[in-house]
Amino acid sequence: MSELQLLMYVAYVVFFIGTAYRARKMATMPVHLRWDLYPIPHEKNKHHYGGSYFEEIDWWTKPAEVSVTSELKEMSKEIIFIQSMYYNNRPLWIFSFPFHFGLYLSIVFVLMIFLSGFLGIFGFEVSGTTSNFIGRALHYLTMPFGIIGSVLGCFGAVGLLISRLTREELKRTSVRSDYFNLVLLIAVFASGLYVWATEDMTYTDLRAFFTNLVSFKGTEPVSTGFAIHMILAAAFLIYLPFTHMTHFVGKYFTYHKVRWEDEANVKGSKLEKRITEALGYRINWSAPHIKKGTWAEAATATEDGGQNE
Amino acid sequence: MSNNKKVTIKDFCHKTGQLVELDVPEFAPLPPPYDKLDLQPKFKALADETKEKYETDLDGITAVKFPRPETEEEKRELVGKFLSGLKKLFDRENNWGFLQPLFLTIEYCAKCQTCASACPIYNESGEQDIYRPTFRAELLRRLYKSYVKKGGRFLAKISGDDIDATWAMVARTMELAYRCSVCRRCAQTCPIGVDNGLVTRELRKIFSQEMGITVEPLHKKGSVQQLEKGSSTGMTPVAFLDNIEFLEEEMEERTGLNFKWPMDKAGAEILLIHNAGEYLAWPENPEAFAIILDAAGIDYTLSSDLMGYDSVNYGVWYDDVQFAKVALKHAQIAKELGVKKIVLGECGHAHKALTVIADRVFTGDFNIPRESSLTLLHEIVKQNALKLDPSRNDHIVTTLHDPCNVVRLMGIVEPQREVLKAVSNNFREMAPHGVHNYCCGGGSGFAITQDLNFPDWRNSVSCRAKLRQILDVFQDIIEPEHNKYVCAPCSNCKGAMRDMFTYYGLFERCNILYGGLVELIVNAMVDIREGFLEWEWH
Ligand code: SF4
Ligand code: SF4
Repeated sequence: MSELQLLMYVAYVVFFIGTAYRARKMATMPVHLRWDLYPIPHEKNKHHYGGSYFEEIDWWTKPAEVSVTSELKEMSKEIIFIQSMYYNNRPLWIFSFPFHFGLYLSIVFVLMIFLSGFLGIFGFEVSGTTSNFIGRALHYLTMPFGIIGSVLGCFGAVGLLISRLTREELKRTSVRSDYFNLVLLIAVFASGLYVWATEDMTYTDLRAFFTNLVSFKGTEPVSTGFAIHMILAAAFLIYLPFTHMTHFVGKYFTYHKVRWEDEANVKGSKLEKRITEALGYRINWSAPHIKKGTWAEAATATEDGGQNE
Repeated sequence: MSNNKKVTIKDFCHKTGQLVELDVPEFAPLPPPYDKLDLQPKFKALADETKEKYETDLDGITAVKFPRPETEEEKRELVGKFLSGLKKLFDRENNWGFLQPLFLTIEYCAKCQTCASACPIYNESGEQDIYRPTFRAELLRRLYKSYVKKGGRFLAKISGDDIDATWAMVARTMELAYRCSVCRRCAQTCPIGVDNGLVTRELRKIFSQEMGITVEPLHKKGSVQQLEKGSSTGMTPVAFLDNIEFLEEEMEERTGLNFKWPMDKAGAEILLIHNAGEYLAWPENPEAFAIILDAAGIDYTLSSDLMGYDSVNYGVWYDDVQFAKVALKHAQIAKELGVKKIVLGECGHAHKALTVIADRVFTGDFNIPRESSLTLLHEIVKQNALKLDPSRNDHIVTTLHDPCNVVRLMGIVEPQREVLKAVSNNFREMAPHGVHNYCCGGGSGFAITQDLNFPDWRNSVSCRAKLRQILDVFQDIIEPEHNKYVCAPCSNCKGAMRDMFTYYGLFERCNILYGGLVELIVNAMVDIREGFLEWEWH
């Protein structure tokens, strides 16, 4: 087994564990106070103007009118088109959108390559000449996804980098790591394109590499260009979980667990239980008006100290 | 852009003296007639001795009025306290209520600056870097990395986002936490869902909950006074009852109605709580409520219990513990009265405090349903429970201000519009409106912060977006011969408008008045003597 293969295993393991760790950390936070922000898309018939169930008289006596389709629609507009940026920051959107879209295509591309690899284990051929329809389809589909994905991703990342280097307000608010992230991404995309253009137009080598990878078999020696591209990709996967670029995880929580979370606290509910638990947490803020003990005790304390005196 | 406006985090921590100088001509230009600079009041600069006395090194303004520490030792101690508060902010037990949204904000900002376009304060100030929504967040993010996260400082040095906890930084942050009205417009536009408005409130919490430093009208004269005397206005239960008696007489004079407020009526359907400031500053508002609810046959009561007559909860703006104390008191009063629900008068932050945020503080019997008066009023109008003649308001052109707390942060958008349309034939919308509205400029406690030159800042920077919207919506009828009314169903917004209108002379120059929603309703009620709404400045 080659070092390159080992590196790839490490990369995938770090990426998955790191991302899962992040998600877990967010998912196991204590219940937070309600902090919703409108419009909330699952508000049936009210989403288009930002309304909520609070507009209904005695709302607690009525069933919640929730629309999953409306929420899914809003999510796809945000995930695929990044609409908040489209409406509020067009100059950056023209790069951010192709960048993210390129990334999505690239992810599908990698998944297809993986799939080809798995199919390969069972002796299923993926190529342009096989008589099997699925094998041919996978072969031909990887090409547009791979090429367009990399071109868009590369173009977008270069645009974002140039914006960050030249636009006053971005320049002033960026730090070293912001540039580094983009440079690394550009390197991954560009090296991939280079390998594709110079030696692997049909992604046959790549497919072979992944077939061996998923079947834990040693690989044939690869070209220097190919190795560099793989090392960069692995480096990115290892680095990713430690950065804000994991916002695909964060975004789930910011939207579904904060902005759009409008669950009312009902007597006897699970939510009420979580709140009761939190009210039993210890508090040791030092200001004189705060009584130490549990939150429940601090919130019912009567004495008050002065401040600023 | 003048160099003065460009401020880096490094400057913020290390530069000595006042960081930025504000100047009216640099602010975003206003529509006519205020396009003429001489109609815009000059900024009051602080006297040198005031600047020497208080920390004013951010922008020459002070909300906190914190006395400058004299020795290095004192400064070190304050910085130490700040850092210990910082740690508690990221502690599971000490900050459970906001830990998740805070972490998400700290971890996931992509620094795209999309949020900057949404912030009224940043834009109206002529794009001052320090008011940028991300500025405070970046401070807190770097502080977290350098002083809370294990091994974070080393990594932060490599990535280039470390920070030095100097006294200059702490002192400026203390003031900067009071340059954002927590309107959360920025959060609404953020593609990632990061909430820079939340950061403002979290920073305030470090100062209040750990260091005991706040703005006096919020804490000492605000929530502390409310818990002790019953109201942040200082009104005790006895004084409240006196007031009510006086207002009943006044109402009889005004309307010819012989009227008594239902008081402490056990088992009533509804406990109605107003912002107590209404009884003192805008008594026509609770009076109008009384007339409407009476005419509609609603079974309700007021409470004269300690705090039962003041819905405010300033903790929403700066302190979780004070917040919880006040909210629990409100629930307890309703519980003791045995009402079915609490209805909140026209006060935005009280809406959000009691109905939304406190929903995760109340358990068991304390969880009594809470509802907006706007929803109730809408129902009353929908049911035709009042005889209305909107032409009684025909001499007025109306527009509607959306209080952030009720609209963007609670999703109550249509009820007030439906009601307003039922009583006004000349209603027009501001742009933008609804959940995309601009803050009145008085949010998060600004409206009640009256010391030194803070009101200048509020009136010329934080209220500026609203002023622009008001002038724009009435631009074709801006001459004083047209009566124009900004309907603002929120005490706090009205407080900000009262000041802003006075500051710019909006009534004298353009004949624009502001007021609540219920006053317009009563003015359109055919059974009530005409002219309930008096067209004069008071
Ligand atoms: S808070 Fe959101 S909009 Fe603002 S810079 Fe960060 S990611 Fe962009
Ligand atoms: S909450 Fe409002 S005032 Fe504060 S930074 Fe965001 S947009 Fe600006």
